[in-house]
Amino acid sequence: MTHKDNEFEELPDSLIEALKSADEAVPLITARVDREVLKMARDQFAGRKPAWRRRPAWAAVAATILIAIFVVQLDQPMQQVNLSMQAARPADISDVLKLARERAGDPAAQVEIDALAMRVVSLSPAGASQ
Amino acid sequence: MNDDVHLVEICNHGDARDAANAFETLYKRHKDFVIRVALRFVPDNDSALDVLQETFTYLLRKFPPIGPGLTLTASLTSLLYPVAKNSALTLRRKSDRFPHSDDVLPDDLPAATNDGPSDIPVLLRGLPDERREVLVLRFVDDLSLQDIATALDIPLGTVKSRLHLALKALRESPEAKKLLLS
Repeated sequence: MTHKDNEFEELPDSLIEALKSADEAVPLITARVDREVLKMARDQFAGRKPAWRRRPAWAAVAATILIAIFVVQLDQPMQQVNLSMQAARPADISDVLKLARERAGDPAAQVEIDALAMRVVSLSPAGASQ
Repeated sequence: MNDDVHLVEICNHGDARDAANAFETLYKRHKDFVIRVALRFVPDNDSALDVLQETFTYLLRKFPPIGPGLTLTASLTSLLYPVAKNSALTLRRKSDRFPHSDDVLPDDLPAATNDGPSDIPVLLRGLPDERREVLVLRFVDDLSLQDIATALDIPLGTVKSRLHLALKALRESPEAKKLLLS
């Protein structure tokens, strides 16, 4: 069987109207049916929490991740300072000065650089109580 | 259809009030279609109302928390049609009081006359069920060929073949010719 694709779009309006009239029963949808269907829907959906109450779990996870990232970022300069001091030989005052130049303007690093400088110039052996 | 997709999405994931409102919009938009389909298969308005209720209950149960959620891949009418049709056929089998058009022999049908557009229903009843169904879905319900294929769960080519034969019968009928000339 052969047929053109566009033949399915081609039916005169008068014929389409006649087809629609032929199918036209006069349904009466009572208000009772409307009420029952919509009540079923409300009952089924009633248990759902509002969207803002379903979000906190995700919000808490996201906030925890952000805080963790922030804490790691804060901790990073100190780790870098410590790593800079993990050389094979004992650190001396030139290392401290070099580090101070590299980390100039970084108050967080400055605290540790000061402590390191104190330790390097101390007369006591490292680790001994002063 | 896009708007239906959005409403279905709200029914899937919205909160209680939004989901109920979205479902109400879907119901109001499609209830006339469903009851029209129902009346093609059941004899009276009361039965059609039962079909309407069953069809939307089926749709409702697709949504959480009862169902897993609905993803629309075609128009909502192509989903509602088979549900309404099957529900109506089941109801009709139970009541067993409405003569199925399959059981009506062409000789039993009133002869077509040239009295005007009222002969079209006779012509429609004279068509084999499957051809009439496709014709009505296309030109009365305005479904696309693809949506008809989805609704009837048949290949697109089969839809085209059935529609071709239905249109041929329609165009060759004296009633249609009269309408075309008028």
